[in-house]
Amino acid sequence: MHKILVLVLAGACSAAAAQTPANNPMPDGSRDTYVGLGVASAPVYEGSAQRRVRALPVVQAAWSNGVFISGLSAGMHLSSGPSLEYGPLLAIQPRRSESGLAGDVGIVEDGSDLTMIADPGLIRTFRDMSADGHRLTGMDVQRARLLAGGFLNYYLSPQVRLTNSVLVGSGNEGNGAVWRTGLQHVSARLARHHFLSVGVGVTLANRKHNQAYFGVSPEESMLSMNPEYAAEGGLKDVHANARWNWAFNPSWLLTTGVQATRLRGSAADSPLTERPTNLTVSTAIAYRF
Amino acid sequence: MRASRHLPAIVAMLLAAGGGAARAAAPGEWVSYRDAYRAMVVFEKYGKPKNFIQNHFQVMPREKGVRLDGVQLSLQGKTLHVNLPLDATGRTVFPFLKAAYDENAVLVLNRKVAQYVFRARISITVQAAGLYETAHLRAACEQVLAWKRQMDLSAAARKCIGVRFAFTGKEREPEVRLRRGAAGETVLPAVTGAAFSDDPNATLRVVNYRFADGPDAGQVVMTDAPLSIAALIE
Repeated sequence: MHKILVLVLAGACSAAAAQTPANNPMPDGSRDTYVGLGVASAPVYEGSAQRRVRALPVVQAAWSNGVFISGLSAGMHLSSGPSLEYGPLLAIQPRRSESGLAGDVGIVEDGSDLTMIADPGLIRTFRDMSADGHRLTGMDVQRARLLAGGFLNYYLSPQVRLTNSVLVGSGNEGNGAVWRTGLQHVSARLARHHFLSVGVGVTLANRKHNQAYFGVSPEESMLSMNPEYAAEGGLKDVHANARWNWAFNPSWLLTTGVQATRLRGSAADSPLTERPTNLTVSTAIAYRF
Repeated sequence: MRASRHLPAIVAMLLAAGGGAARAAAPGEWVSYRDAYRAMVVFEKYGKPKNFIQNHFQVMPREKGVRLDGVQLSLQGKTLHVNLPLDATGRTVFPFLKAAYDENAVLVLNRKVAQYVFRARISITVQAAGLYETAHLRAACEQVLAWKRQMDLSAAARKCIGVRFAFTGKEREPEVRLRRGAAGETVLPAVTGAAFSDDPNATLRVVNYRFADGPDAGQVVMTDAPLSIAALIE
């Protein structure tokens, strides 16, 4: 009957991975807001073999003028028709430091003290033996960035939409760009007050973005244990996700999501990538008001 | 301290919150007004011709055998309580109320909601005079089809073939005639069926008027007002 709101857990996925919520027409002056708290288990960074469990806030709000906040993204629905959604989009790309993405919650051990060893193969052997190590040690910090772009979604049916979003400004130089496109089934009724949305998609990134997050510069190679690596643009990942919402009552719901991402191309071949397939799982209690 | 050490406490907190929320849920069978609103308001904002068609909120049995008799729907919020009378097809005029939206009100059913489908239902407007120009019925069907095409890409290849008049048939058999001008009148046969093609209960008396059987300029007349007029699209 309706396009279910797709809650996005702030921090559960990168800004580029965020999906825009469906258009939500409402009376003038009204708003539809969710806030909540949950937990997520996610890779320390894209391509990391290590996982981190952390508390996550849930934030989603929509206003009658079309403005919305969804996790780390914000935008505005400009379309008036039911089959097309488009508008500007802003998003925050989380900071990536040596300890991973936005590492204020939880600590991951630094890789090792072997940064001066020049043989990458030897280094990898040591690292693979270290359960807590990962390959960001010595890499430049990628600062949190405000990305700007837009979204364009088209409904093939009331329940199935093609999603597109383009965000520009990632990386320390601010010249990275990501295009995320996919197919989403926005609502399937499992049982009374239980709804499931599923989606598949791909992410394409330009060379600047991939170099920022998957490349290794000569300076970084000197400081880290990673070989120099020049990343190329192109297909960055393929992904599939599912979200299950269980509404206890009109105000409270449990939202649970899982996303599997398989890095491709330069991202998959990067020496920073320990595991090309990553899984993010999250669950949260949210209050609607 | 590693974040993972907090996991048991966080999970316990979530389970406690979820359990509390579940216990706090209203005992009645409810549907979110906000969700219904966003499904219903799309037609209000629809910009193409819609002078022959209308939109209702419909409570429809999910399976055959589930009845609408005695089913009551109401809108309940912190400061409002509005009964929404259902017609024999389960339809009601949806109230667009800012207060209900802002209060996060609910649509409450006096039956198990799992047995019913809640949906927006597009139909052709009933004329009190009981007289319909065939050209208007064609135009009305085309308006319904245009709406469906706007909402669903898969409707692009479908076409209008007629309309269906639905009657209760409780008091008397419906009498629907097709006036063909100089060619005279034809009585359209009534059969037992459903008001809408996806309604599982075929308990009404229905009369189909297929455009291929009628003139471009004629009239469909009836003595009793129908419960509903549905577009026949295939």
